[in-house]
Amino acid sequence: MKLPLRPPGIRSLPFSFPGRPSFSGRLHDARTATAVGRLLGAAVAVCFVTGLVSHVLQHPPALLANSLPSRPSWGYRFSQGLHVASGIAAVPLLLVKLWAVYPRLFAGPPVRSVRHALERLSVAVLVASALFELFSGLFNTAQWYPWPFSFVPVHFAVGWLLIGSLLLHVAVKLPDIATHWRRRSPGTLSLPAGDAPDRRSLLVATGAAAGAVTLTTVGQSLTPLKSLDLLAPRHPDHGELGLPVNRTAARAGVTAGSVRGWRLYVGGPRPYEITLDDLRAMPQREVVLPIACVEGWSRSARWSGVRVRDLMDRAGAPVGALIRVTSLEGHGAYRVMVMPHTYARDPLTLLALRLNGEELPPDHGYPARIIAPNRPGVLQTKWVSRMEAL
Amino acid sequence: MTRGSRALPVLRAVAGACGVALMGVGMWAAWRGDDPQDPWPVVRWLAGAVLVHDGIVAPLTLLAGLVVVRLRARRAVRGGLLVAASVTAVAYPVLFRPGVPQNPSVLPLDYVRNWLFVLALTAAATAVIALTGARARAWARRPRTREGNDGRKTPRGS
Repeated sequence: MKLPLRPPGIRSLPFSFPGRPSFSGRLHDARTATAVGRLLGAAVAVCFVTGLVSHVLQHPPALLANSLPSRPSWGYRFSQGLHVASGIAAVPLLLVKLWAVYPRLFAGPPVRSVRHALERLSVAVLVASALFELFSGLFNTAQWYPWPFSFVPVHFAVGWLLIGSLLLHVAVKLPDIATHWRRRSPGTLSLPAGDAPDRRSLLVATGAAAGAVTLTTVGQSLTPLKSLDLLAPRHPDHGELGLPVNRTAARAGVTAGSVRGWRLYVGGPRPYEITLDDLRAMPQREVVLPIACVEGWSRSARWSGVRVRDLMDRAGAPVGALIRVTSLEGHGAYRVMVMPHTYARDPLTLLALRLNGEELPPDHGYPARIIAPNRPGVLQTKWVSRMEAL
Repeated sequence: MTRGSRALPVLRAVAGACGVALMGVGMWAAWRGDDPQDPWPVVRWLAGAVLVHDGIVAPLTLLAGLVVVRLRARRAVRGGLLVAASVTAVAYPVLFRPGVPQNPSVLPLDYVRNWLFVLALTAAATAVIALTGARARAWARRPRTREGNDGRKTPRGS
């Protein structure tokens, strides 16, 4: 019986020693690189833009510090879910892309000219930054930090390095990409025709791999798919009152003792202090808003409490004022949060006292926490003790 | 010469220059930004990522390819291995993170069990695709029957 078409050439090792290895396997060609590379490029572009959105919402430049949009209320949930999902989907794309072009690492002569040396250097930067961004992001979602530097500034900086080296790479390779863009493009037609079915099969498998890693993780933010959430670091159903937790009261150093006799200080032209009972006696509002974490998980919940703008109006705070919110927690990067007036005036923004029909548990911020639309989870300050108009 | 082909070098130059500028933004952000970092650990980790991929992951993949390429169902097996490797790469942090998570809602699932389940599902799907592919090939190679090749003469001169 005749065996199916076997790619010729591979008889022993895929590369020969000593000296420069030579590759005889199939599909290490420009058509494969183009077909996978454009998907990878799209995923990296989505990752970069959504990453930038997240960065601006968390660390707004001075120009936007008091005018970030509080709508759509699901905005950050969508953009950060997409950031993590597109990064995860890019993992198989990157592995296949690097496999397709791997023989070029050994192409000779290693350096032909200054321009060639610079091009190879830019490819090294591209490969390094792509691997680093995808895997550092993945490790961050599992709260695993094996490196000696701080994650956020480095992930942010290398993101620029990645998008820049990618743009440079596309510019350098543009003629190759153009001649291999379609199945009937001249460059594609000049490749061995017998490889085409094999390449299609590889591309289908790459799509299947991207689909598999997406389906088994995306349920951490796309709740209708939560039953398929098998490998994500979070699951929508795990957490007190149906909501996952990042920082517990114990870790934040907030104890039963530190909330005893709790009073909220509201600062403005007419500052005042208010007890929990008095807050409960004010008009209560109910909103449905998600907690959307920078790590990609998110979960919608039903909150009730007092509108932030009602509290600030009572202190005579100017409508356009930034609001500084301080937590009871003793330390931590997010102990003090500054809220643009766009959030503070939004009728959905509450100082929440209840979650899903129950009093806030300590880990969700008892006695009172902030919940605002379109805002990263780390800025939904828990254990609030002070709110001041600046 | 069309306008498109004249515009292409300009487009490439502009895109390349923008790329270099964006890389510059990254360097600036890392070492002169709001929270400047010591450059050497970052450079070591960037280089380390390339070394691990090019020195370990890629050669192992090529060695696996050496075996797979000899199999009759090599396309299905290659696809199955690609899915399994991708799932394993993505699950690596949740599988191997050392230490105790900060609270019970972090890493709440039995990841080893789930990972093995996904691998088993991938293996089953691969087997089904390999078998249906083999049957399809056998069908395509089936010998012509008498009915199918009924001995009619080919019309001449048409």
